[in-house]
Amino acid sequence: MAAPMVNFYFQLIAFAFLHQCTGTSPEEFFKSGHTNNWAVLVDTSRFWFNYRHVANVLSIYRSCKRLGIPDSRIILMVADDMACNPRNPRPATVFNNANNQINVYGDDVEVDYRGYEVTVENFIRVLTGRLPPSTPRSKRLLSDEHSNVLVYMTGHGGDGFLKFQDAEEISNVELADAFEQMWQKRRYHEVFFMIDTCQAESMFQKFYSPNILAVASSKVGEDSLSHHVDPSIGVYVIDRYTYYALEFLETVTPGSKKTMGQFLEVCPKYQCISTVAKRTDLFRRDVNKVLLTDFFGSVRNVELLPDSIHLQNATLHTHSEDSSDVKSDKPLSYAQQFPMPV
Amino acid sequence: MASDSANLPGGKITFLLFLALVNFSFTIGIHNDNFSEELYVKPFSSGHVMFHFQFTTVWNVSIDKPESFQHYHLFPKSLGDVLTTYKVKELHLSQTQGLWKHEKWGYPPEDAPPGDELWVWFQPHSGVDQTWADLVNALSGLFCASLNFMDSKSTVQPRWSFRPAGLASEFYSADSRFVRYSTLPREVVCTENLTPWKKLLPCGSKIGLASLLNSVKIYDGFYHSLGVHVRSVCQDTQCLTPATELKQTLTVVYDPTTNKNGKQDWSFQSMFDRTLQSQCPLADTRKIYVDVTTQETFPKFSLSPVPDFVLNQKRSGEERKIAVYQIGNHLFASSLNLKAMYEEKLTFSNSSLPPVYANRFVTGYGLERGGVTCMIYNTMSSNTTVIFMETVPWFLRVYFSSLRIENDGKEIKPYKINFIPAKDRANPYQMELVFRLFANSVTKITYSFERAFLKWTEYPPDANHGFYVSSAVVSTVLPVASQYTATSQSVSLLEESFSDSSSSFFLRLHTETLLVSLPTPDFSMPYNVICLACTVVAIAFGSLHNLTTRDFTASDPSKRKGLVAKLKSFFKKEKESPENKLDSKEEETPSQKDKDNSKSEEKDSKEKDGNSET
Repeated sequence: MAAPMVNFYFQLIAFAFLHQCTGTSPEEFFKSGHTNNWAVLVDTSRFWFNYRHVANVLSIYRSCKRLGIPDSRIILMVADDMACNPRNPRPATVFNNANNQINVYGDDVEVDYRGYEVTVENFIRVLTGRLPPSTPRSKRLLSDEHSNVLVYMTGHGGDGFLKFQDAEEISNVELADAFEQMWQKRRYHEVFFMIDTCQAESMFQKFYSPNILAVASSKVGEDSLSHHVDPSIGVYVIDRYTYYALEFLETVTPGSKKTMGQFLEVCPKYQCISTVAKRTDLFRRDVNKVLLTDFFGSVRNVELLPDSIHLQNATLHTHSEDSSDVKSDKPLSYAQQFPMPV
Repeated sequence: MASDSANLPGGKITFLLFLALVNFSFTIGIHNDNFSEELYVKPFSSGHVMFHFQFTTVWNVSIDKPESFQHYHLFPKSLGDVLTTYKVKELHLSQTQGLWKHEKWGYPPEDAPPGDELWVWFQPHSGVDQTWADLVNALSGLFCASLNFMDSKSTVQPRWSFRPAGLASEFYSADSRFVRYSTLPREVVCTENLTPWKKLLPCGSKIGLASLLNSVKIYDGFYHSLGVHVRSVCQDTQCLTPATELKQTLTVVYDPTTNKNGKQDWSFQSMFDRTLQSQCPLADTRKIYVDVTTQETFPKFSLSPVPDFVLNQKRSGEERKIAVYQIGNHLFASSLNLKAMYEEKLTFSNSSLPPVYANRFVTGYGLERGGVTCMIYNTMSSNTTVIFMETVPWFLRVYFSSLRIENDGKEIKPYKINFIPAKDRANPYQMELVFRLFANSVTKITYSFERAFLKWTEYPPDANHGFYVSSAVVSTVLPVASQYTATSQSVSLLEESFSDSSSSFFLRLHTETLLVSLPTPDFSMPYNVICLACTVVAIAFGSLHNLTTRDFTASDPSKRKGLVAKLKSFFKKEKESPENKLDSKEEETPSQKDKDNSKSEEKDSKEKDGNSET
């Protein structure tokens, strides 16, 4: 007798809860237009004195994971190993702060491209999807026309180029062409491009594909500066722009209503010393109305169906007795591991 | 339904019990795999302590029949899919950081070289090279390691050294067409490799022994090695059907004497910063073993909590005492923090040397030539045959004629040699030697090489670091299990190896890797050359051009003006210029007249020249 009443109250609570979550009607929930989120996070610097670049990219990786993007949708490229470097006094950790506040390396990290694999060719192949057939899924950017892709790059750069591992460089023209290829192959819905290098603005000046929102840590002619030194390590541990960006992102929860407009205002000149540059002309929406979690978080669109669907039982016939077919007539033996006479 | 159970007070409980019973019998009926988690702790006389975790899954299906790899239960599907897609029969992957010190620590349960080592036996099929290339790519994605660099330049087919470790026919194991071996000595092992390894475990890393695996403490250790080993084993003693065994091992060595009181005290809390709070319910065997052979003699230590029982491990020539803990018995009150407390500080003593161990190093100086020497020590009182395998990259051009095996100055002729020279940028040098190690002696193997010039695009971004040569592999058979901790071939678990009655023990050990510098160009050279060349052009060419094209006219020294006169003439010119503009037209006619005069003069001179020529 009580059961139907309990059911009704349960549904009512669930309905109210759902509304609480979205805050708006279901139609508005799907207004952003994207259905999945990807992230391509690249650190291009090698050697111990570039510790801060690895800390930069791991900070963004940590934020993406925390806000919901799973490892299978993140392509993390780290050019050198800082956590297990023999010079690291605290192995398996990369901190963003000399006071060891946050271990951005964490306990659950998956690096897809490491060491010598971080090259300009691999980066462009990942973006455009032109990878050799034997590349595993975790190393592929399998985005479609409804994907929002976050691309973050950090390293040493100059006016119009970004150095990869001190051996080669990618120019802003190549990068713009790579994004245009992505657009023509319908590999993104919207891209948020973040770059933290010296003269970073030059890297997005040549973009010409639609739906790209870009932010850079410094203008052309300016250097991006590091934040502070950790005396026990002896190198700079993080760059200013990413430090303050991480500080901002730590306050964001998966259900947050913070906008991209707020994120683009992070790190004013008195904090960053360099001027944060942004490019919004290619982006169709108003940045003050775009949620931060559209790029940093992961969309979990749930569609509630009122009626039930009957699935056919299409499981394969289990060969539980099949092991008897494998029985050989004479006993099997282990291989002789030392084939020479003793 | 709810109203019915509400009426009967005990009805709910019986219903749940019935469901549980049905589920229990259901699972036993359908699932044909079992999982075990074991931890083996062994303190060494040098003060170090080894923790060897072994997670074994045995699935009663044959790896030779890929269609039977369905309905995954405890065996990880991600690995099973890779094994079936790439026709793998056996797979052995190890990821190690650090060097195992055989002289101090004896033999580990799984010997591994520094870096990554992968050796695979494939099902017989054609095109194994392509399958190998695809397999290493798939594994690189699975284990977050750069295994895709294991291409033909560093892959060999060992003929005698890496025979299958599981069930295989003699005909198949003698055929080296289906085996591939490759190492990456430079590869780093960090949390990003531990994470996917932990995800292969049935209980994950939240409960059971795997919950002790704290990456911050493990990668702070002296030596750590991750291993994934897949092979075919017997399902039962009759051995008419094969089963697939997946053994995941993690060996980590700590040095607890670096704490404040200098004693070799160790505990879960101090080594892993965690205590064991749960056990994996999917595991059949959940045990911890501690080697307590020296507990009563020297150095004395006590274990807390008290072990469940102590068993004597007898292996030919070696007797060890193993304290066994059944994890379930110790989790009732609180968590299990296994502790060993030593009475005295550590005193260094000469530990007994293992029967066979090896050292390898580079000799020579300069960037043109060099040599490699490997010393293999035999401390037993009997001779033994050994297989020595080396893989040298193509850019260290080995002189096979310089290969010498010496024992106490006398040259030893090897029983068999398998030497495959390298092909530039295609294959490495592969060398396998079979020879005899005499009792109580040192055997020295030497060969020399010449360093090659690489093309400038072939250098890695940190070219001045040098290039690594993978470790040599020494395989032999020991008559005594002295300091031998590996599991025997016919069993899967550590506890099954404790009562081992075999009389010969297969040993494989790896030597050090080598770091060799090649003649490296100065990569800042193009920039320097451009600066220098432009400077030379600007200074030298400019002045030379001026020198050769300037027209020199003689000047009258008496008409040479002094400084004051020059200034006066300068100001005079300025005054004259406005006047000159008005008279410019008039002045043109005199200049035109001059030009006409000069033209007529030229004509005269030409006529004169013409006259002179004729």
